[in-house]
Amino acid sequence: MDKRSYNYIGKNIIRCDAADKVQGRFLYLSDEPFPNALVGVILMSPHANATVRSIDVSEAIGIEGVEILTYLDIPSVKYNSGEWFPGQEDFPDETILTGHARHVGDRIALVMAETEEKARKARDLVRVEYEIMPAVTVLETAADMAGTLHEDGEKSFEGSLCYGDIDQAFSAAAYIESDTIATPKVHHAAMETHSVLAIPRPGNVIEVRTPCQITFGVQHSIAQVLKIPLSKIRVIKANMGGTFGGKQEVVFEVLCAWAANKLKRPVFINTTREETILSTRTRAAVKGKVETAVDAEGLILGRRFELTVDAGAYLTGTKKLMIAMGKKASRLYRIPALSYTGSVVRTSTTPAGACRGYGSPQIHTITEIHTDLMCRRLGFDPVGFRLKNLLKEFEEDLSGGANIGKARVIECLKRGAESFGWEENITPKVSRGRFFTGIGFACCTHGNGYYKTKYHDFSNMSLKILEDGSAILRASIHELGSGATTALAQIVGEVTGIDVSKITVTETDTQFTSYDSGCQASRVIYVCGECARLVSEAAVKMLTQEASKLLDKPVRFSQGSLVCEGKRLEIGGTVREIMKKRRVSIEANFEHRPEMNPASFGVHFAEVTVDKLTGLVKINRYLAVHDIGQAINESFVRGQIYGGIQMGIGMALCEELPYDSNGMPKARNFDKYHLINAPDMPDSEIILIEDGEPGGPFGAKSIGEISTVPVSAAIVNAVNRALGSSLTDLPLTPAKIVEAVADLKK
Amino acid sequence: MNEGSNGNKELTMIVGVIFLKIELKVNGKLRRAEVEASERLIDLLRQKLGLVSVKEGCGAGECGACTVLMDGEAVCSCVVPAFQTDGHDILTVDGLEENGELDVIQQSFIDCDAVQCGFCTPGMIMSAKALLIKNPSPSREEIRTALAGNICRCTGYTQIINAVETAAERIGECRR
Ligand code: FES
Ligand code: FES
Repeated sequence: MDKRSYNYIGKNIIRCDAADKVQGRFLYLSDEPFPNALVGVILMSPHANATVRSIDVSEAIGIEGVEILTYLDIPSVKYNSGEWFPGQEDFPDETILTGHARHVGDRIALVMAETEEKARKARDLVRVEYEIMPAVTVLETAADMAGTLHEDGEKSFEGSLCYGDIDQAFSAAAYIESDTIATPKVHHAAMETHSVLAIPRPGNVIEVRTPCQITFGVQHSIAQVLKIPLSKIRVIKANMGGTFGGKQEVVFEVLCAWAANKLKRPVFINTTREETILSTRTRAAVKGKVETAVDAEGLILGRRFELTVDAGAYLTGTKKLMIAMGKKASRLYRIPALSYTGSVVRTSTTPAGACRGYGSPQIHTITEIHTDLMCRRLGFDPVGFRLKNLLKEFEEDLSGGANIGKARVIECLKRGAESFGWEENITPKVSRGRFFTGIGFACCTHGNGYYKTKYHDFSNMSLKILEDGSAILRASIHELGSGATTALAQIVGEVTGIDVSKITVTETDTQFTSYDSGCQASRVIYVCGECARLVSEAAVKMLTQEASKLLDKPVRFSQGSLVCEGKRLEIGGTVREIMKKRRVSIEANFEHRPEMNPASFGVHFAEVTVDKLTGLVKINRYLAVHDIGQAINESFVRGQIYGGIQMGIGMALCEELPYDSNGMPKARNFDKYHLINAPDMPDSEIILIEDGEPGGPFGAKSIGEISTVPVSAAIVNAVNRALGSSLTDLPLTPAKIVEAVADLKK
Repeated sequence: MNEGSNGNKELTMIVGVIFLKIELKVNGKLRRAEVEASERLIDLLRQKLGLVSVKEGCGAGECGACTVLMDGEAVCSCVVPAFQTDGHDILTVDGLEENGELDVIQQSFIDCDAVQCGFCTPGMIMSAKALLIKNPSPSREEIRTALAGNICRCTGYTQIINAVETAAERIGECRR
């Protein structure tokens, strides 16, 4: 089909929930109190590593209507919050409440009352005596101190990935260059804080409503701890006020379901910003060394990584994340030999977990800063060096991962460099002796699902065409705010010819929607979107066949219409006749199992001005170029990119969750945790390269996660070029910049 | 503040907690409420008056999700004591529609795709409203400054700034 003739694909259809949202009528979990629910707040540890010596709830429980459950009441089952399917064997080290607090914010007890205010007052009356132990806050010594934090005897969790002859590569190298780089622990900062509601229902069913990303994963975690069948747990995705991975792992869901089940009453757990910062998940901090062997012409011969990843207090999905980082290392440049070793350690800090990009921002920040510094030291042109080594279309991933697909990263770099005026602006400028302006860029890649990884990836949907010609796509989608439901409606509309305004796309409800691997791994457009396209085709096929039988004449479907003997048939009327006369409803089901997992690519460019005196960085210009196959809704794509840039700038310059040596968090709210606001944001340019990716719906592939991946490195590279510095410890706070400037003078 | 309005206000005391009776205008309607001295405006609006469009993102005056207009000025309702609104005029996003028609800012937010998860949206729209009341044709920089206290994690602000710009243009067209 010719692109220009699309009705909906690539069009800026207005998202289906926009009107409700601008009117303040789109309600989140905490906006709708549930009748007769107990509101729960968590008694959190004020210490980083401490065991509870005694807990006295007598005064609090004396208040009428107050219920308290403590670590003494819980099932002893340990679980891993990053495990989303039975048998994934993620190391379990977490319980729903604990008598050994392993970070400030760890869950000791759940205090409930009919109002949140009352629950908070009661919580203040619970007396806990702690035995305080040394905090584990330093990555380098965390493995040796593991025993004070966990009794399971695991010092660290190792992983490695190797291919090619790495020793040969390094011994043949003309140059060997290495850098040590650190990326920060970051708060997701979804504007909606964490909350969850659990309701005991007849038939021993527990209903859990949660703004989450993997309902079937939540169901699994609850089943595992409560030891009840999956069929008795109904997880409904609630309206989502942002997640960015922060609501991907289970956090309070299991605790809430357990409490509701135990008390046989609905329980709603709510958190403040401070509680969300201290007690949920973060982006994992990573620190380590990357080393590259290069030949005299600037071809990469091999690369070594030795990285330490900070899981925080519990392992969570951080081992998965560490492995994922390694797997991403071979999907951007052609690296003939690779050795990746990762070590995950636990520290007495807020647990890490999934965060937009799932390791990609960390690994590509590390390699892209390193690549720039290496090019500077060796005198290579950073654009030319990358062009020589970037993967070309349909190259194999040498680590054995899925084929790279229709890679357009070289086009991204070339077009970006030209449009940004790379050549013309390469020399840093100085004004008034203190303002240094420089440019930088970074390349990156990210995936499109789980195909050819350890994890299963498929989606099952049905499309029902109703008797008035409207349609319902029954899909296990999690709308996170990115517009996925509207984008899927556009796909259905394109295939069926049904007006988008008459299409409803459901979100996931484990009792009524079919299996889907969840909103993770950047799989929604590529996998779920393709499933929506295929199920739409199946429904159209069924409709034409049934119409042919009804009329006893050949019926075709062409350009969005049913046609019989040259005449257009109205869809609604035809469906009605089929239902009445043939007693058949038009509902098709399809299970899509992708056989490809191509890479998406992006190259971002930044121009910054650094004030040497204050250490402040201003971003003057920004350009994002993305290889996205095909935009389903261009405005949504742009929205993802702008948002990704906001997060990435934060990680580069100001966002971090620091702790003192006692494990006390220094940032507990947005006064000390700085997010990029409107005046700090540049007006970014965006270039989309749309060459159609095989296997994606109308050629579309992922954008939401990858849009944040190259940002931090592009900015750090610009700062380093402006100053001539070699800053590698993120974020580049004013203090670090001022210090670097002072060092450069020496 | 209207001077000394609480001076002659009725105070009630129930088990040691002082309640103040206040009278304020919310979205054009006169409302009466009994509030505790420590009660925040956001709690009055959300819990007592059911205006859950007012969101809490930080509770510390740092994110702007709870922004409402008080006598036309944007304030963070999470840091304003409820009793201070006695005799004042509060506007939330619920009060923007006129005769069933969306405010031009709301419509521009829809048209410019300035909404993703929507959690920051009511507060963002109220900050934009306060700006456009005072300055109906702001520059992009002025828009940025007016939205400086409103954090959005989803949109990167660009489409929001576009929306406010579009709203200003539309207001300008109407006036012409
Ligand atoms: S909730 Fe009031 S400013 Fe954040
Ligand atoms: S739209 Fe999600 S925080 Fe602004």
